[in-house]
Amino acid sequence: MSASALRHFVFAFGAAFPLLYVIARLRGLALFTVYPAQGVVLLGMHRSRDFTDPVLDFLAPEMHWYGWTASAAVGALVIGLVAALLPDRLSWFWAWCVWIIPLMAMIACVYLTIPWFRM
Amino acid sequence: MTTTILIVHGLVSVALLGAISHQTLAICAPPNAKPQSFFGRFRAIPAARFANAIVVLYLTSWLLGAVVYLYFKIDIQPTLERDRHWHAMGFFDLKEDFVVIGLGVLPAYWFCWRRSVDSQHHQIRTTLTVLLAFIV
Repeated sequence: MSASALRHFVFAFGAAFPLLYVIARLRGLALFTVYPAQGVVLLGMHRSRDFTDPVLDFLAPEMHWYGWTASAAVGALVIGLVAALLPDRLSWFWAWCVWIIPLMAMIACVYLTIPWFRM
Repeated sequence: MTTTILIVHGLVSVALLGAISHQTLAICAPPNAKPQSFFGRFRAIPAARFANAIVVLYLTSWLLGAVVYLYFKIDIQPTLERDRHWHAMGFFDLKEDFVVIGLGVLPAYWFCWRRSVDSQHHQIRTTLTVLLAFIV
């Protein structure tokens, strides 16, 4: 991989990863769901209440954070590889995206966390 | 075992905080600072040498945090929810999100520091370093 292609890859990856993470978090697009109490990992997004009675939800707490991270990583990897093949004249675009999108993603995450502070 | 991982996670995080704050101050310090002044000394630090250490420390800290998180979910979170510590839960959620965003920009950060850069990349390098410092 040439230096130019590597630059496109890392900048596109850095821009796509936070964006995809926020989308995955918003839309519930987890690649897998972890049930730490049972030591079980299921492909896709699942909710405990899909398997247990809602009042027994606390017995099988689910974790989506790993799945969201994996979804974002896979998506960003694909976008990064595609960006590496694109012409050099688009490098200014990735150079801007690599710091603007993470900032926007952080603001979006703050917005998504607001419900905790209203309880 | 969990306690050991948590302690190591804390130690790695402190080392990461030290490295990234040194690097951030080194690149943000005014260029005309007197050599013997506080900022002058920070500027004299070869900031690029911290980059690899910061990447390794960030990844290690993230990995250890991801392991500890499993135990947190089972042992700690139910207690926090029962006692209605919603703000603590919110801040923890936010930390998780910011850590993942930092993980995403880490390759770009590493790339910017490993090369001699032009003015545009210098700006990106500074921005990404400040962003990571804020996250840490």
